[in-house]
Order: sequence, then structure tokens, then C-alpha cells
Amino acid sequence: MKHFDAIIIGAGSVGLPLSYYLSLKGNDVAVIDKNHSYGRGENRAAIGGIRATHSDPAKIKICQLSIDIIKDIEESHGISVNWIEGGYLYPIFEAEKEKSLKELLVKQKSYGLNIDWISPEEIIKLVPGINPNGLLGGTYSPHDGYASPLKTAGAYYKLSLKAGTTFYFDEEVVSMQRDGDKITSVKTDKREITADIYINAAGGYAREIGQMCGLDLPVYPDSHEAGVTEPVKHFFKPMVVDLRSDNQSANFYYYQNEDGQILFCVTPEPSILGKDADSTSEFLPLISRRMIALHPRLKNIRVRRTWRGMYPMTPDGFPIVGRPKDISNMFLAVGMCGQGFMLGPGLGKIISEIIVNKTDKYNLILDQLSLYRKFEGNEMLK
Amino acid sequence: MNRITQHPVLEVKSRQEVGFTFDGIAYKGFENEPVSSALFANGIKEFSIHKKDDAPQGIFCANGQCSQCTVIINGMPFKSCVTPLKQDMDIITLRHVPELPHDDNADFDQKIEVIKTAVLIIGGGPSGLTSALELAELGFNIVIVEDKDKLGGKLLLQTHKFFGSQEDSYAGMRGFEIAELLESKILKNKNITVLYESSIVGVYKDKKAGVYKNNGKYSLIDFEGMIVSAGAREKSLVFQGNDLSGVYGAGAFQTLVNRDMIKSSDKVFIVGSGNVGLIAAYHALQAGIGVVGIIDIMDNVSGYKVHADKIRRMGVPIHLKTTILAAFGHEKVEKVTIAEVDDNWNPLLETAKTYETDTLLIATGLTPADEFYDTADRFGFKVIKTGDTDEIAEASSAMFGGRIAGLKMAKLLGKDIDIDPSFYEKSEILKSKPGEVFNPKTIVIKENFTPIFQCFQEIPCDPCVTVCPKGCISLKGKFGNILDIPEYTVDECSNCGLCVAVCPGLAVSLARKIDEETAEVILPHEYILNFITGDKIDITDIDGEILEKAEVIHTKFNKKYKTHLITVKMSLKNAHKAIGIRMQDKKITEHYHDTLLNFLPENGIVCRCERVSVKEIIDFIREFKVRDINQLKQIRVGMGACGSKTCSILLPKIFKQAGIDFTKVSLGTLRPLTVEVPMNSLIDKQGN
Repeated sequence: MKHFDAIIIGAGSVGLPLSYYLSLKGNDVAVIDKNHSYGRGENRAAIGGIRATHSDPAKIKICQLSIDIIKDIEESHGISVNWIEGGYLYPIFEAEKEKSLKELLVKQKSYGLNIDWISPEEIIKLVPGINPNGLLGGTYSPHDGYASPLKTAGAYYKLSLKAGTTFYFDEEVVSMQRDGDKITSVKTDKREITADIYINAAGGYAREIGQMCGLDLPVYPDSHEAGVTEPVKHFFKPMVVDLRSDNQSANFYYYQNEDGQILFCVTPEPSILGKDADSTSEFLPLISRRMIALHPRLKNIRVRRTWRGMYPMTPDGFPIVGRPKDISNMFLAVGMCGQGFMLGPGLGKIISEIIVNKTDKYNLILDQLSLYRKFEGNEMLK
Repeated sequence: MNRITQHPVLEVKSRQEVGFTFDGIAYKGFENEPVSSALFANGIKEFSIHKKDDAPQGIFCANGQCSQCTVIINGMPFKSCVTPLKQDMDIITLRHVPELPHDDNADFDQKIEVIKTAVLIIGGGPSGLTSALELAELGFNIVIVEDKDKLGGKLLLQTHKFFGSQEDSYAGMRGFEIAELLESKILKNKNITVLYESSIVGVYKDKKAGVYKNNGKYSLIDFEGMIVSAGAREKSLVFQGNDLSGVYGAGAFQTLVNRDMIKSSDKVFIVGSGNVGLIAAYHALQAGIGVVGIIDIMDNVSGYKVHADKIRRMGVPIHLKTTILAAFGHEKVEKVTIAEVDDNWNPLLETAKTYETDTLLIATGLTPADEFYDTADRFGFKVIKTGDTDEIAEASSAMFGGRIAGLKMAKLLGKDIDIDPSFYEKSEILKSKPGEVFNPKTIVIKENFTPIFQCFQEIPCDPCVTVCPKGCISLKGKFGNILDIPEYTVDECSNCGLCVAVCPGLAVSLARKIDEETAEVILPHEYILNFITGDKIDITDIDGEILEKAEVIHTKFNKKYKTHLITVKMSLKNAHKAIGIRMQDKKITEHYHDTLLNFLPENGIVCRCERVSVKEIIDFIREFKVRDINQLKQIRVGMGACGSKTCSILLPKIFKQAGIDFTKVSLGTLRPLTVEVPMNSLIDKQGN
């Protein structure tokens, strides 16, 4: 049985960066994924936003690190991931939302986030053609941005390979052997391997992997639908997030990527629970109505493709990161709630330091994202 | 103006002229013809400048699929090949990407119509139409979604007479005539609704299909069963210069020439000797366009022998065991270099020859447009595919296959019917590939006219038998069906000429002996006559070799079959071999003295939308150990407007070139939409 220093289940938004950072620190790392290649779980469905604009210190910290890392991939390794520091804009139309976001702003700033409330005029300048009716202003965080999930996954795969990671694609984990407080091996449909530490980064399938070693992880995927348009001349820079709801949907968000294509995603309401990734006829009329209502200039843009992806949700909308109490050689990086792509790089680096360097400097993050928290809160900026 | 003003088979209709501008210059075109054809007619063949490398983009599919012909019309991007020309259109070259108009009004009262039907038929070509007629007859409601403004699919582009049998598949009629006949039957049927100029853009999990009417309305179709008769797409080919303006498919060529009556070129070169390539040559000659040559990498003509013979007789050489090395030219094709290949298909550079041409037609085969079938099947819907979507074959077999598909669908939907077993048998016969070739038998020319058949290959065809009023002709051979070969078996020929006029292969002549030296021969001719009685013309044998100059003594036009019957006086010794009249000057088929050999196949473009080359893909496959087509999206392969319709067909070969076994590579995921749709058309009023 081949032995590794670490085995990561999932070659996705979280598993890929983690495999790279662990390998870079000299570890012999294996990554198992049931898909044919990297990033084929939910990374392929992510539209690319990377923001440090969250409501809690842990995710702000992780994503600030992610942003630094993504910039560095281009600068240090010369691999383009189409990063653009376009900022995140939350235009606000409801007085109540204005009040709560302004309150949150104080907290966000105290965690070191560069964010401010801007006027409707400033918003119209940032997003020409946005519907000004009832626009009260909004929050704008200029250092956030977006990158290509495809290219980022490819970049980490390439870096990881170079750092010595072994990838087992087309292999499904079928069982994990446990002896007391230790996992003793992981069996796939093709082999059985062992490691000093086993990391669950299985995205939408984290719960199933948890069950194989007796863990009850509260991670329940629901479907979100996304799409991309033809490319048009660049005319706005920020990722625009509309937090309003209507009778079919909660928030939606969109941005214009490096190629000039607009990528968009909507959160259905009520949620579509489960893992069905096939498109329905309802999505396009819904997202078109919402996008054109907010930004009428988009009416003439042609939609090119649509798809569905999963948000592996937890009850409070925050990820689960850390070691389970009763399994000493297991680490969880699950329940990213649709933010795996933006959390992944930072989280990968942090977890590698926790595992290899046994640092305690991230204990506050681990406390906040613990599996044993009460899951009572609710992330405002899901 | 590059328009076809006279045609031996097609009627040149008068149309309303309108004025438009292109990049600020005024031009004239015909109202409602595709913008791309109006531009071609005015000699404009470059429509856009690609964002990646400023390469000029011309027409490619002429079929609304690839979006390479996008131009800016009145400020908005449109695919010019599916946009009808209107008075005063302001058309400009699309440079890189379009700018969204600063139009900030929106209509939120629009409702998306949901059309309910028993059976949705995707594609109104031969198989779709015959399946619709069978189903409608049984009382089912049908919606046919057709992306053109006429029914008939590729039948509309076919000016040649069809093979097959008169009884089952309208043999002897020309494609566009069959299309008209089928359309009139469809329009008379109250159970059938036709959505013209509409494309299915997505098949969704909730058993609905999204349909988009060109530049307009988006609707949903709620169906019980689905028949996919969407036809096929032309395979592309990778070689240096394959992205030049002027390189396109034979189907696109037929669209320009036979549907839009555009003289798209002065001379074409054709890659591929299947029926599509052979017929494209025939169509070109009919339209007054020269054909420099046809090449095929195989050592046999892959289409029907009678087609190939016909083309050779007109003076078009077919170079076998030959491949294309490169196309050259400044922003458009001007020259093409070919070379013979060895037994492993490697080009023998010492045999390379360069020809002058302004258009290079790719006719290297078709691939089924079956993605909607696959999606519907995966979703567990009641779905059947037919025609080319099921299996690439002749339209004659598609029409028969469509009838079977219709009946099968009726059964799936619970109708208690039996399908006549002979239907399956006939369908198989009509699908037959060209069979054995026999040697000519000795022919004795008599004093009364008798038919001579230059038809030696087993193909499914029998109109000469059924058209003969005296029953003189029978099929003889091992099959006992229409695959057998015709023979004159009852000596009662009345010299009516119908067998000569009806034969799709132009492979029947009538001959009689005048004296021991001379004979009279009646030959079929499907071109505009450039000779009159008394002229001496070049008569050829089956392979296109000129036998002698013969005097024209009579010409007659058969209106039903739109074929001239030319009677010539020639030597008795050659009369039994005479079957064609040389049309094309030899000069057009000659090559340059020097050959250009600076080709770099690795620059050939694979993904046309995003302009990704062979080399870029092979390098990426190696660097990223690609075993999943989805990985190629990283370098934008398949991310363009067409949704990988063109490049996906080429990829197996590219992986092979990269040293990867393609059977171990997992395929790309296809998702809606298959055609881009403006957001404004998709909007639905809230609160349903």
C-alpha cells in the first residue's frame, strides 16, 4: 500500500491550492478526484468573483490572503489567471439594507477591509447604464476582483504537479478505514493508499466522505444557475451584487471578464436542494428579468451559455475548517457555501501551515469555522 | 455584381432591389436576401476582424451556426447569413467585439409563450417532414422548428436529380422540387404548425425546449415526444491557411450559389470526393464557376461513380491519394498546394503542385447534429433521431427513414399501430453505400435507337426502369432490388428519351447506327447551351476522355426533368462510348510551374471562434496531461459562440497527433444555449 504524507480528497477549488502548498513544503501528497480532471466539481461552475467583503473576520482574513496569492501567481509564476482588480459593488435600493450594510461597514473596516459607502452618482459612474430609480448608494470595495476559475485551477494543477503532487483522477473514494481515533487507509475503486493525514476537500460530496469515517457533516448542496454572454466592449469594472429578492430568486451578481464576456449567477428562492446540474427552462427568463431591471443596458447582450453548479451549504452560511475532535489524522475543509473559489487559495496556504508548521496563529479562524460551533448565525453576504 | 443571371435548372427570379451601406459606402442588394449574400454579391467577403490576432473573418457555415459572419447592423451585432437585408441598413465590419448600444429602456410586460404539442420535430428537412406527415396522418399535433424561411433543409440546395426509387423517394426529381412538394403537403395539414426561421437553443430538464426566432422572440415548447431531424454539420479540416477567407464548406457554397444565386467565386478547388464534393463541382459548373480540381486522400472516389464520371466528363480532374498541404493568399485564398500521399497518408513533398483558386471548398464528410437527441435521451424523454442526425446518408433514405421515425414515435406515444416490415428493408437499401463496379458489356448498336447504360456500380437507383413507357429496362444482378444494374431487356425502344432525361447520373444515352461509319447519339446535358445545331462539340467517354468532335444535329429540352437531349452525329466506332459533352476549358485545371512549399501545418486553426491553433492545443495537451476535453476550455477551445460544433469534430485527430489515445479522453460537456440569444428576448414578466 502506497503511503503519502497527506491525501486530499477533491481536486477542486480548495484541494488544488492545498495540494500545492503542502507539496511545496516538501510533503508527499496525493489528490483523489472522481472526475476526469481537476476543477470538474464546482470550480467549473464558479463565475470567478474573489472578494474579501464578508461579514466576519475569518473569511475576510482568508480572502485577503487569497487576493494577494492570486496577484502573486501572475507576478511570481507568470501564469495568467485573468485577475482583474475590478472591485465589488453592492448597489442598495432598500432603506433597511442601507442601514444594516452601513452598520456592517464599521465592523468590516475594523477587520482591515478596504470598503466604503458610495453615492448613487459614483455608482452610475462605475456602472454606466445602471437603473438609477430608487438607488440609495452602496458599498464599494475596490481591492476585490475576479479571475478565471478554469485558469486558476489549471495554474494550481500545473504548480502542484511541478511540486511533486500525485493526482488520481477518475477514482472514486469508496471507503475509509478507521481504527479508533485514526483513519488507517482510504480505498478507491482502483487502489488503497495510506497517509499521515487525510483531508476532506470534497465540495458537494463532503457529507458522503464524512459519513465514510463516521462524521456527520452538516453540508447540504443546493443548485445555483449561472451563465455567460458574448464578449462586448468593456464598459464596467466592478462585480455587481444585487441583494434584493423577488418571488423566484434571492441575490444575483455579475461582472465583465477580461475577454469582455459578462458572467452572471443567481440564487434561486426557494433553494433547489440536491446535486442535479442540468438546466431548467426557468433560469434564463428569471435572470434576464432581474439583470435588465437592474442594468437595462444589458438587454441587447446575447447570452451564450448557461450551467448549474452547487453551493455546498452549511446551516449558517460559513465554512467548516479544522480537525474533528475524535479523528486525530483528519482535516476538514468543507461547506464553502459557494465561495470555495475565493476561499481556496488563502485557505490552502493557511491549512498547510497549520498541518505542517503546527502554527497556532490561525486559531481564531479555526474557532470561528469549527465543526462544533452552534451554526446559529447567518452570513449576511452569502 | 457577382450574381448568377442564368442557370440551366434554377429559375432566376426578379426581386425588389434595396440600398444599404457597408463601412460607409453605398451598395445595392435584394430585399430579404441574407445580408451575407448581399455583401458577397457586391464582392465583399470579409465581415469581421478577430479580437485575438486581427485576422479577417469571412463566411464559413452560411447556416446560422458558427457566427463567423457577424457584422454590425444599425449598431447591433447580427449573424449576416441569417439576417434578411432591408432598405437603408447601415452595416459595418465588426472589429474585435461589439459595443452595447447605450439604450437603457426595457420592457417588463413581455410574457414568454409556451407552445404545447404532442411532438416537437427539430429540423424541417427530408426526414423531419416525412415523419411529420406520418404522425399528422395519425392525428398527432406537430410543431416543426425550422431555422430557414422554407422547408426542405438541404433538399433546397440540390439542383441535381435524385437517386433512389420513384415510388418511395421521388427519384429523378430534383432536390428543390421535392422540397416544394413536401412543403405544400405540410402546409395543407392542419395538425402541423411550422415555426420558420427559428432555432431550438436549448432542451431543458423540465421537458421544455427553448426556441428562438431569428432576431426576435424566444418561446418555450412543451412536448410529449421529440424527433431530432436536425441534419448534419460539415467536417472541417486542419491545414495551414484553413482560416483564410474563402475556405468554407461545400454546403455553404451550395447555399450561396443555389439558394441565393450568388456567383461566389470564379474558380473553386474541392477537397473530398464524396457525393457532397462531387455535387458541389457540378453545381459550380452549372453556375458558371470553374472547378480547378477535386482531391481525395483515399485511392477511390468515395461518392457514386456516376457522379464522379459526370464531373470528369465536364473536364474536372479528380486527384486521388492526394492531400492538401496549404492554402495561401493575402487575407484570402489565392493559391492552394496539394501533394500525393504514401500508403500511410504522409504527403510526398516532391509531388507537390500549386494551383490558382479563389475558393477552397471542404467536403470531407458530415457529422450528425445529434446533441439535442443526446440531451433529451439523457433526460429520459421520448426521443427519436432520424435522417442524417441518425446516420449520414442520401436524402432519399432520409425521407424513408423519417416515415419510420414518425411511426415509431406514434407507437412510443401509445398508438397501437404496426410498422410494415418492408419499410425497414427499403430504408436499408436506400442507405446503401456504393457497391461493386462491373465491367462494361459489349454493345452492338442497332438501326433503331436503343439505350446504352454507362452505369456500372451498384447504387440504390431505378428511375430509368420505372420511367420507360414500354417496360424495356430491367435491373439485373445479385440483389433483386434497386441496387442492381440496369439492362435493356425488351427490344421495343420507341426513342422517347425519358430514360436519358430522368437518369440522375446522366449515364444513359440512346444510339442508332446510320451506316457502317456513322451513328446518331442522344446525350443528356444539364447546362446552359453554348452551342447550336450545326456546331461541332467535344464528346467524351465515361472517364472524360475526348472521343471526337461531333456535329450537333438536334437539341430538345425535357421540361419535366429540366434536361437537354442533344443529338449528335459521330463515328459508329465511338458511339457506344459517348456519354458526355466537355464543358470546361482545360486551362482552368492547370497548375503553376513552381510550387510553394513553406507550409506550417501547426498553424492550422482548430477552434475557429476563438482562433486556437493545432500547435497551441497540442502544447497544452502535453503540458497539462489533458485527458478531459473540458480542460481545453482553459485555452478557450469550445468557448466561442458556436459551442464547439466545429472543433469538437477535429479534436480526435489532434489528440492522436499529440500521442494520446482519444478513446481514453472524456468528452466535453455540452450545455444550452446552442445559439446566442439576446437577453431582451429571454425576459419574462414576473408573477406567473
